[in-house]
Amino acid sequence: MTATVSIETLNAPPPRRRRTGPGKWTWLLLAVIAGILLVWEAAVSWLHLVPAAFLPPPTAVLASFLELLVDPEFWQAFAFSMQNLLIGLVLAVVVGVAVGLAVGWSPVLRFTVAPFLWLLYSTPKVALAPLFILVLGLGNESKIALVFLLAVFPIILNTMEGAVTVPASLVNASRVYGVNGLALGWKVILPATLPYSLAGIQRGAALGFTGEVLGEFLGGTGGLGHMLEFAAYQFQMDEAIAMVIVMVIIANLTLTLISVLRKRLAPWYDDRQIMGRS
Amino acid sequence: MTTPTAERDEPAASAPLISVRDLTVSYHVARTGATLTAVEGVNLDVHEGEFVTVLGPSGCGKTTVMNVVAGLVAPTSGEVLVDGRPVTGPGPDRAVVFQDYALLPWRTVFDNVKFGLEMQKHLKGDGWRDRVQEAIELVGLSGFENSYPKELSGGMQQRVGLARAIVAEPRILLMDEPLGAVDALTREVMRDEIEKLIAATGKTVLFITHSIEEAILLGDRIVVFKSHPGAIKEVIETKLARPRSERSVQSDPRFLELRDHLWDALQAEATEAAVAGGS
Ligand SMILES: Nc1ncnc2c1ncn2[C@@H]1O[C@H](COP(=O)(O)OP(=O)(O)OP(=O)(O)O)[C@@H](O)[C@H]1O
Ligand SMILES: [Mg+2]
Repeated sequence: MTATVSIETLNAPPPRRRRTGPGKWTWLLLAVIAGILLVWEAAVSWLHLVPAAFLPPPTAVLASFLELLVDPEFWQAFAFSMQNLLIGLVLAVVVGVAVGLAVGWSPVLRFTVAPFLWLLYSTPKVALAPLFILVLGLGNESKIALVFLLAVFPIILNTMEGAVTVPASLVNASRVYGVNGLALGWKVILPATLPYSLAGIQRGAALGFTGEVLGEFLGGTGGLGHMLEFAAYQFQMDEAIAMVIVMVIIANLTLTLISVLRKRLAPWYDDRQIMGRS
Repeated sequence: MTTPTAERDEPAASAPLISVRDLTVSYHVARTGATLTAVEGVNLDVHEGEFVTVLGPSGCGKTTVMNVVAGLVAPTSGEVLVDGRPVTGPGPDRAVVFQDYALLPWRTVFDNVKFGLEMQKHLKGDGWRDRVQEAIELVGLSGFENSYPKELSGGMQQRVGLARAIVAEPRILLMDEPLGAVDALTREVMRDEIEKLIAATGKTVLFITHSIEEAILLGDRIVVFKSHPGAIKEVIETKLARPRSERSVQSDPRFLELRDHLWDALQAEATEAAVAGGS
């Protein structure tokens, strides 16, 4: 390959993604947000339309937010939540991809197991949260289980769909060149399915985070959800809103991270093909 | 007919390398529950070192027959022997250039071509790299080793599929319209390359094409298919001297005769197919 490097620089492939548009939209979005914040501040602090105790002005929320960032208790809660989320997600990815590949690839499993998976997917699992806490206790286990339960189905179902749609011609080509059995799974089915799995993981991560916070909210001894509940209970609305903002940031960072991962792991895949897929 | 000029050596007496015997393939269409007979009663012997081109209207079962020889589709009745043994699946003695390219989109050109050797375990050391590189050069894709298929044109992707088959060094090359998406000029260059390669390595080739000229220029024999049901209509020996450049052959009366004959045969088929399809 050494000989090809020089040639490659001459015939550099075209850039994979054009960067047009987003700049403009980002500015528009920022302007809208700034406008909303201004109206909010005016309504509360200057016009006193709403009591600050119910809806603290943005400046108060910002102050709470900055306070949070230097509060060791906050970081402890953060670590608690993130650890559960990570463990739950890793379990969901391993189980979800394995089950998804197996069910997608085996016609027998597809006809027997898949209907139940769809059924479970559409069941509002959030309703099971109190049960989990009752059975698994107030500690980490109930949260991890909730994260897993919420995250695993989108991963299974996306992976399954990916495995089903692996083009027959790719499988034929593999067979012609002697790629069978496990090698087929590893070299063809898995990479062909990867973009779908990653889309599922992205959705699973978002749902899993919801599960984590919900679990903490309903009955917990730590974590961001617990902190949020506590602040709301104490009627510290500025801190509560700051907590919500923290959560929005975490959720978005997670999604962005997985997006980046998707582009790194599956650069050949055109995002547009799986947009809107859940 | 004009007298045949110098011919390639033909091991006529020996057993055929590929022997298609009374082959019928029916597809079961799960959606409708119907059974569709793609080809019926196909008989064809191809000898070692022979270059057989296949012509026929769209949907007459050319790919189907090739898939049976490749071991990808099982015969409904009849059988295919390769080197005297019934085909039960794909094998390293046969490589396929697919009509729809069938490249792995997550692999670069280099790694896609390498896929042709992937399972050849005896390839220790770095020798295979040269082989891959050679195959890429042969199909004129040097400089695109690190490109992904989606960054290439259809014709370029098709050439990657060709390189992948060549690099595997099979005894039998099964090519399904390997130049179908390639532009006219590249097509001519590639055709010459294929002809040279085959002449040098003595490979046995089954080559599907939609181009009458290509079928004549490359083939020792031309198999013409008909449809409804798919079957062999006739087999013609080209009996043209090699090497056959497009220029030199244009004025050859034998070439013109073949071209007119094939043109009429396919025209009749196409008309029939249109009538049958329309009823
Ligand atoms: N997997 C399949 N399932 C059902 N029917 C099939 C399948 N593959 C091919 N057929 C049918 O078999 C017939 C022959 O198809 P085939 O692909 O062999 O034609 P072909 O001669 O290669 O055509 P073309 O020149 O367009 O490539 C067609 O009528 C097609 O609809
Ligand atoms: Mg075909």
